[in-house]
Amino acid sequence: MKGFIGLTKRHLLLYFKDIQSVVFSLLTSIIVFVLYLLFLKGTFVDAINSVMNGLESIINSKDIEMLVNGILLTGIMGSAMITVPYNCLTTVVKDRENKIDYDISATPMKRWQIILSYFVSSVISAFVMTAIIFTIGLITLNAMGDTCLSVKTIIKLYGVIILGAISATAFFMIIVLFFKSSSACAAFFGMLSAATGFVIGAYIPVSQFSDSVQTACNIFPASHITVLFRNTLLSGVLEKINNDIGGLDQGKFAESIQDIFSFQAYMFGEHLKTNMSVIYTCVFASITIIVMTLLYAKTYKRR
Amino acid sequence: MSAVVEVKNLVKKYKEHVAVDDISFSVEEGELFAFLGENGAGKSTTINILCTILEKTSGEATICGYELGKDDDEIRKSIGIVFQNSVLDNKLTVKENLYTRGSYYGLSRAEIADKLKEYDEYFEMSEIWNRRYEKLSGGQRRRVDICRALLNDPKILFLDEPTTGLDPKSRRLVWDYIDSLRKKRKMTIFLTTHYMEETRDADHVVIMDHGKIMCQGTPAELKSKYAPGHFIWYTAKSPKAEQLLTQLEGEKAIDMSAPKYDVDHYDISIHGNITEFLYQHKDVITDYEIIKGSMDDVFLNITGKELE
Repeated sequence: MKGFIGLTKRHLLLYFKDIQSVVFSLLTSIIVFVLYLLFLKGTFVDAINSVMNGLESIINSKDIEMLVNGILLTGIMGSAMITVPYNCLTTVVKDRENKIDYDISATPMKRWQIILSYFVSSVISAFVMTAIIFTIGLITLNAMGDTCLSVKTIIKLYGVIILGAISATAFFMIIVLFFKSSSACAAFFGMLSAATGFVIGAYIPVSQFSDSVQTACNIFPASHITVLFRNTLLSGVLEKINNDIGGLDQGKFAESIQDIFSFQAYMFGEHLKTNMSVIYTCVFASITIIVMTLLYAKTYKRR
Repeated sequence: MSAVVEVKNLVKKYKEHVAVDDISFSVEEGELFAFLGENGAGKSTTINILCTILEKTSGEATICGYELGKDDDEIRKSIGIVFQNSVLDNKLTVKENLYTRGSYYGLSRAEIADKLKEYDEYFEMSEIWNRRYEKLSGGQRRRVDICRALLNDPKILFLDEPTTGLDPKSRRLVWDYIDSLRKKRKMTIFLTTHYMEETRDADHVVIMDHGKIMCQGTPAELKSKYAPGHFIWYTAKSPKAEQLLTQLEGEKAIDMSAPKYDVDHYDISIHGNITEFLYQHKDVITDYEIIKGSMDDVFLNITGKELE
């Protein structure tokens, strides 16, 4: 057990001690934030205004502000959920490239402990980084107004972060096995960073894409995790707005917001309810964990 | 002394390529055992098999009495390895590297701290403990690599080309550390190298080429068998000298047209007793020298190739 803890600690140290790596792993999140300050906020507000239909005087502008800021936060968290575990898992490739895996394999540690240490360290780093972003975001949102979040909802959100960290790690554990060099790994990270913001709908809501593109985006559990973040984080604000409207629009405003900002994942012609997104993510993670276990058992077998 | 490593008919194949070709040898407890060969001769592959990193294709091996392939965990507990390339983490400090590696063997922080104190006495490491591994010089890195390999108090220390890429001063320093280790701990050292001079102090040398063992023995045995050395004598050009050369069948001066002769005998034994030969021809021979064969000559004569 000491070996497993020590090895996991080593992977974590390698990630957290490399400030550049930490910053780069949050690059997409930083880009989302910068774009938000530059123009995304305006775009989001315009989209909301377009479905107001005369409710401007009823809906509190602070709630709209909370809504768009919340959407930003879910975009940042969703991006971090993808890029942080991937970045942490580049250690797998670097260890194989520099034959550090030889050094580890020549110790009495079991092969499964070695593989699990990579997995656990990536889950921990993804959770820690996303939880830090979430906590800072939550404090900022609270300072700006009422987030309408109960303690139970906040705990639920941390739960979603754990689920996201596990599912993303399991998926990327498989992906990194295909890279033989850290340069190939870095090249893929460039593509991943660029694509992430679109796949999870941080730049443009996924609902703006065609049906097939939406399906493609939602194959990845990260999109479902962002959907879960959005639903859980913003359900209180939306409910408050709905209460303020008092049924004048028969709930159409809230429905429109949920449609525009993809509060439900769309796959193969169906909108999935949030509990279905949870099930999909769990099933996806379980399958990838099984595939990952088989692949690693083969790879880490003595050659 | 008893054998701590016994290898019988070891083979390692990668598809059609035979990296290790039916080799057998044994290493006695406490000896410095050297594997000599060019890059690609199969030295590192053999070490990696013995260290349980690579799977053998066939053959048998026991390390410290444990059977390779059956008692691998016990073997891993009994060995330490200094790899050809550094396998410690550049971004971590020396201490962090050693603490994490120590934990792989189930050592507690207190146990590792005790070991670090001990290394400090051996290797004077206190000034580099908190320095990042990437900031160390080549020699310092190797010192840390050796410390890492000693964390589990191994019975055998495998050194895979430990001085490759180091400057001569650092190489000397690394060897001083290894020598002091041997003296203080009476540890068995299994070395692979392509530096001839590093095999000089070995108790047993194995020369490998293309995965095969070409020869093995003590450096003295190998030199006397494969590189007996040179006996060179010098004489001024004279009828007596000419007569002597005619008497010695097959022997020729290096330059017959020169005013004096330099006669180089590749085989010292041609003269039988050199002292007698020198006494008999003291009026002809003006000077002489005996150059003993080196491990370079052994390697060259056996493989037809030269090493660094």
